[in-house]
Amino acid sequence: MARIIVVTSGKGGVGKTTSSAAIGLGLALKGHKVVLIDFDIGLRNLDLIMGCERRVVYDFVNVINGEATLNQALIKDKRVSSLSILPASQTRDKDALNKENVGKVLEELGKTYDYIICDSPAGIEAGAMMALYYADEAIVTTNPEVSSVRDSDRILGMLASRSRRAELGLEPIKEHLLLTRYSPKRVEEGEMLSVEDVEDILSIPLLGVIPESQAVLKASNAGEPVILDTESDAGKAYQDVVDRLLGETVEFRFLTAEKKGIFSRMFGG
Amino acid sequence: MAEASIEFKGSSFTLSVLHLKTSILADISADLAKKVAQAPDFFYLVPVVVSIEKLDCSVDYQAIKLLVESFDFTFVGFTGAITKEQRNVIRELGFSFVNTTKNSILEKSITTTVPAVENIPAVVAATPTPLYTDKIHRGQIRSGQQVYAKAQNLVVIGSVSAGAEVIADGNIHVYGALRGRAIAGATGHHKAQIYCQNLEAELVSINGNYWLSESMEQHWGAPAFIHLTDSELTSSKLT
Repeated sequence: MARIIVVTSGKGGVGKTTSSAAIGLGLALKGHKVVLIDFDIGLRNLDLIMGCERRVVYDFVNVINGEATLNQALIKDKRVSSLSILPASQTRDKDALNKENVGKVLEELGKTYDYIICDSPAGIEAGAMMALYYADEAIVTTNPEVSSVRDSDRILGMLASRSRRAELGLEPIKEHLLLTRYSPKRVEEGEMLSVEDVEDILSIPLLGVIPESQAVLKASNAGEPVILDTESDAGKAYQDVVDRLLGETVEFRFLTAEKKGIFSRMFGG
Repeated sequence: MAEASIEFKGSSFTLSVLHLKTSILADISADLAKKVAQAPDFFYLVPVVVSIEKLDCSVDYQAIKLLVESFDFTFVGFTGAITKEQRNVIRELGFSFVNTTKNSILEKSITTTVPAVENIPAVVAATPTPLYTDKIHRGQIRSGQQVYAKAQNLVVIGSVSAGAEVIADGNIHVYGALRGRAIAGATGHHKAQIYCQNLEAELVSINGNYWLSESMEQHWGAPAFIHLTDSELTSSKLT
């Protein structure tokens, strides 16, 4: 059975698509068959982050409407053959999806793939509800900042009440907290919520902490998921996230500010 | 059809009851003057029900009403187990007659002299104070969620997130942090209380009296409970 994982947040701009791309690619690099689905109909982004925007012919909505087959719409990643992307439509809106047909597409994908990663749109409207409805697990992406934490809390309430698992009274969706854009220095200065603060408010298990990093923007613009940047802190942190998703126990890194060495102190670096 | 512009609902109120032990107006006047002099602000415009239970038939209702009003009370009506004839006289004079429930557990006698002022609940719509059972909610109540314990106490085993709302007609117990809104005694119950292990609420309300976060500074972030004393919210430390 494929694991259906929704990457969600409530709030926009916190790193859902970046995280979906990094985690999807990371799982594929480990040899798993992975498909990434962009649920953000009308605001197609995942294809850009994955660097396959010029290869989109058919999209998710075409498949839903029976205008194309799944195989026609799926884009195989050029770096890792076990990874595919199902892009969103840029010209349609979120009402183009319906539960029944989305269910059929996921069922079909489940026959081939080990992991189905659903990149959710922001908000709590129909689009976001569609992305989380069939999920087995949820990666709740949160910035260490009060409004983002509150929106994540709201989404956690939705996961517990509006999903298929909740409606059928099955085992609840497994929730993971992914803290992104974390800056230990600003936490120490009291400008940012700490990991402990966020854990205390949301009380769900921590999957990973991605440090604020210049590498993320660079990776997005280049269409190369940041996990491929193995030199960067963000890339390493996403690698840890993938390992934890696969059941490994990995110690958390990048939680404390780097102490300045004697040279950088002397030369003001 | 448009919704009706008015609605009738029964509510309980705590009113001060002035018990008269004599119908001699001069005596009542003298003792009332003494009483009011002790706390003029407290009694100013306080709604008051006059109990004539201990009096015989020869009562000048009109005079008593005017006397009470002359001390700046807001006269509500008469009460007391009296005869049908007395009741008819009161009604004919255009005064209201208020029934009370017979329990006076809340009775707090301020004085033993005549007249005595007590606080007893006057139940206007004859709804006796119910005994509440508990509604138990396991797990966190997330932002945007609302849990209502209708005619019950609410026990939350978990935290109440900011943006969440817990409401109970009885008491509210939160075994976790209270960061959202908590409304106890929602249908009018001034004895309702709110307990939590970490007070960081956006709003707490008991029987319509509410506090925003800024009023909770004293026990902010600490285990605390909130209750009503003399229509004012008070927070106390949970030890």
